[in-house]
Amino acid sequence: MRMAPGGPFDGERKLPPEIEANLLAAYNMDQPLYLQYFDYLAGLLVGDFGPSFKYKDFTVTELIWSGFPISFELGMWAMLIGIIFGIGFGCYAALRQNTPGDYLVMSTAMAGIAIPNFVMAPILTLVFGVMLGWLPAGGWNDGAWQNKVLPILALALPQVAYIARMTRGSMIEVMGAQFIRTARAKGISERKVVTRHALKSALLPVISYLGPATAGVITGSVVIEQIFGIPGIGRYFVQAALNRDYTLVMGTVVFYGGLIILFNLLVDLIYGWLDPQIRYE
Amino acid sequence: MSNATFAAQGDSLMKDALRRLFLNRATLVSTLLLSVMAISCFFGPLFFSIELDDVSWEFMGTPPGEGGHWFGTDTNGRDLLLRSLYGGQISLTVALIATLVSLVIGVSYGAISGYMGGRVDNLMMRFVDILYSMPFMFLVILMMVVFGRSILLIYIAIGAVEWLDMARIVRGQTLTLKRKEFVEAAHALGVSDRQIILRHIIPNALGPVIVYVTLTVPKVILLESFLSFLGLGVQEPMTSWGVLISEGTANMEGAPWQLFFPAAMLAITLFCLNFIGDGLRDALDPKSR
Amino acid sequence: MNVHTSATAPALPILTIDDLHIDFALHTGTVQAVRGISFELYKGETLALVGESGSGKSITAQSILQLLPEPVRYTQGSIQYQQQELIGASTTAIRKVRGDRIAMIFQEPMTSLNPLQSIEHQVAEVLIEHKGMTRRQAAARVLELFQLVEIPDPKRRLKAYPHELSGGQRQRVMIAMALACEPDILIADEPTTALDVTIQAQVMALLKGLQHKFGMAILFITHDLGVVHQFADRVCVMRKGQLVEQGITEAVFSQPQHPYTCELLDSEPSGNKPPVSQDAPVILDAKQVQVEFPIRAGFLGRVVNQFRAVDGISLTLRQGQTVGIVGESGSGKSTLGKALLKLLDGHGDIHFDGIQIDGLEPLAMRPLRRKMQVVFQDPFGSLSPRMTIGEIIAEGLKVHEPLMRPDQRDEAVCAALEEVAISPASRNRYPHEFSGGQRQRIAIARAMVLKPKFLLLDEPTSALDRSVQVRVIELLRELQDKHKLTYLFISHDLAVVRALSDHVMVMRTGEVVEQGPTEEIFNCPQQAYTRELIAAACPLGSSAERACNPA
Repeated sequence: MRMAPGGPFDGERKLPPEIEANLLAAYNMDQPLYLQYFDYLAGLLVGDFGPSFKYKDFTVTELIWSGFPISFELGMWAMLIGIIFGIGFGCYAALRQNTPGDYLVMSTAMAGIAIPNFVMAPILTLVFGVMLGWLPAGGWNDGAWQNKVLPILALALPQVAYIARMTRGSMIEVMGAQFIRTARAKGISERKVVTRHALKSALLPVISYLGPATAGVITGSVVIEQIFGIPGIGRYFVQAALNRDYTLVMGTVVFYGGLIILFNLLVDLIYGWLDPQIRYE
Repeated sequence: MSNATFAAQGDSLMKDALRRLFLNRATLVSTLLLSVMAISCFFGPLFFSIELDDVSWEFMGTPPGEGGHWFGTDTNGRDLLLRSLYGGQISLTVALIATLVSLVIGVSYGAISGYMGGRVDNLMMRFVDILYSMPFMFLVILMMVVFGRSILLIYIAIGAVEWLDMARIVRGQTLTLKRKEFVEAAHALGVSDRQIILRHIIPNALGPVIVYVTLTVPKVILLESFLSFLGLGVQEPMTSWGVLISEGTANMEGAPWQLFFPAAMLAITLFCLNFIGDGLRDALDPKSR
Repeated sequence: MNVHTSATAPALPILTIDDLHIDFALHTGTVQAVRGISFELYKGETLALVGESGSGKSITAQSILQLLPEPVRYTQGSIQYQQQELIGASTTAIRKVRGDRIAMIFQEPMTSLNPLQSIEHQVAEVLIEHKGMTRRQAAARVLELFQLVEIPDPKRRLKAYPHELSGGQRQRVMIAMALACEPDILIADEPTTALDVTIQAQVMALLKGLQHKFGMAILFITHDLGVVHQFADRVCVMRKGQLVEQGITEAVFSQPQHPYTCELLDSEPSGNKPPVSQDAPVILDAKQVQVEFPIRAGFLGRVVNQFRAVDGISLTLRQGQTVGIVGESGSGKSTLGKALLKLLDGHGDIHFDGIQIDGLEPLAMRPLRRKMQVVFQDPFGSLSPRMTIGEIIAEGLKVHEPLMRPDQRDEAVCAALEEVAISPASRNRYPHEFSGGQRQRIAIARAMVLKPKFLLLDEPTSALDRSVQVRVIELLRELQDKHKLTYLFISHDLAVVRALSDHVMVMRTGEVVEQGPTEEIFNCPQQAYTRELIAAACPLGSSAERACNPA
């Protein structure tokens, strides 16, 4: 990656050559590329992502750990809201298929999908922050709850929309399945038919979507943190990308990659636990 | 299907699906709206006497309508309508090229994997599984950081990460079609492998692929505007909806129209594409028949 | 046969259906699925509702428990369970009847059970709901029920999930669930159609035994006249939503009153095929054919074992002969057929028309392909859905006679269609516009247009209704006589095999159980398995014994 033209120290002014040489040496950049690469890999193994190029006093690891708790908190809330409301709205729409309620939920969900969160976030700020003045329009304020509401909402809305659409689709399919007819023939109430028999089957596709949903929330957090000025990993990442801060970009990508793989693993485990047909395979 | 009313000319499945598709009013309206959007983005700028980066000094950050600027101007006094149309060009071109890239990679990868079967298939699909768990947005950004920002690279980078689903779908289709009795019947007739793929497998796999393409297009457009919004996409003086929205967000308190117009255009395009995708899926879904 | 004459009608029927009309309001128009049917069900009897697909028999059955999905409309008539009207009854009232007083079992035991719940849980649910049992009480009762329906090793299977059971066992679970509350009425909607014949016989025997024990009435929905003859006390014949005839089973079978009933009874395949002379030329000669499938496992799908689907089978087919291969699912009969045509890789010597074809390259094989053709089972899957039937039939000609002029080819296609009694004018239509029987004719035309010597018929009539089946069988007979064709006929349906073939081979788990001239095998089978198969198929007897005098 360092074969690309331009470097992190190409500032406004041209640095005197000896200073540049010193800098490069400090970051091991005077060594051949393959050595740099192996050094980096060795560092990764012990959790060392190397020093940041731009935030000169911090290592990448320190930067990631300072931003992570904040990003994690926002992400978790967003996922939670996405799952609860998504499943709720999806079931509601599925069980009232082709009624005004269904149409309302589904067209709202379509809006949630079609309006990207970097449009949604400014709109939310404009309405609740500027026009109504209920909540602060941005900033972090050391994690006061008022400052968290809008970013969490902006992160969660697309997930609510996706999960609602998915739940509705699979719920409708399951409700037409033959084992639902069997359940009805047993004489149990419609509410029990839904909660005991349909819900679990209908949620399987939603469970397997949780992996991609995590990736979606993480991706979304990059732009949301940027818009609201939240000191999470996402914001560091964008700054790093704009500044060509290689180690920080690389470190964040590796960190997120690991996180997403971890989540996918977790989702697979949950899925296997829920679906006996997978469990025994 | 009654025997009495057999006309000489049959209805192909495709014709049937198209008829169903346009019975769906949301899809019909979306298709028309999208066509209007595409035509105005590509041909609209021809009717302007000004250029993309022409600055009108007397109208800086004016609201819509003033001085013949229907969408108003940005803070530098550039016409927002013209800029939005150019932005649309970028978005739609990205959609076209990146989708094409993903289509080519995905279809050939999936078809090869499915048709070869066995261990080759297994290895190829494991590779896809591994790539699946990668955070794509970040890989694209990494590519932008490493190779510098060129518009061509955006096309390729997005296409290169969006082919996974396509490969899976095509593989699944190939696998089921390979086992269908009409393919076996063709084997029994002595039809060659090449002809079987061309005449029997590809035409029948097309339905799901078309549906998936229409769902990839909005994803790709979103990805590009996302990058541009972050400042990692197209560079000045070229612009895109993402860049315009980003600029609009910065000035939304004083000049909300700068956010409104490009955001509305982007949202309408995404709306239409999603509706068309949904409509196509319903129309081509064998279960709805 | 064992007709229960003991079930003489008591004063009051327990279920009365009177002038029932059922409509479905679809956006393409209203479909009248059931048009004015009336019948009564009495305590302890078995009433069969017989009809072909589309006769409305399943819809009638489901209407009793009000299980039909929207947009169903009950426009007229009544359904009364012991004087209680079920149409339009409140959901609570219906729920008290469902599963408790009237229980139901369905055709597909796999999809009718919840895949995510253990079978114990699913059966216990009925008991907890209707009998107010605790979980523990219910569990004990479920075990009893499983013993009652003869699920092997019931204790260990309690916690099993549906996918871990065989088809027959799943249907037993469904029966256990239905009998849990000892209902007055059991509605069985094609309960054995998805099962192999031997399993089918076991399940029917079980149902009959349980009926004796509990004294419930069974409403039995089926298309299989053989099963009706053997198990039902009374029978109702349905056609296009109407009831054409009802009566005591013996009477209906021996003296049918309605022409449609006659047609149904006569649609039982009949006739036989005289053997060909021993010096007719040999068309296909195969020795020690073996087919193995690799069993893969692990991360990269390593081959861990071989599954032997066909294990050393030899057979000889002479010109004009029809060899029938019978066997249940998994017996390897279809695999054998495909291996003989080299549609699958196998081992063993195969000579076709005097040429050794094992080990032949695909290119060298191609000219031989036109002499050996196939007709498959599935009339929906065997025609490419995006080609017109004209193109489908012409495809073989394009491969084998590339120099043929388009108008000549068109002529050949028309001739082939005429031969199978499909109007050549419809050759520009697509497969989905034809009915199942018509599609099977088209598949036969596709094979016949090449003027083959040998046809592999892989369950060509299994997906068709009996009356349609008979016509396809007639067509196959005509074609054989006219063109001196040789058939290899694969089927699980013994009646069809008996009617069409002069030599029969019985297969089980990849091996030949028994083979010989058809009449010998059917009249004095030597092996226990063959006897079991023939007994399970319960044939109806020939139409000659029947006095057909429609009113």
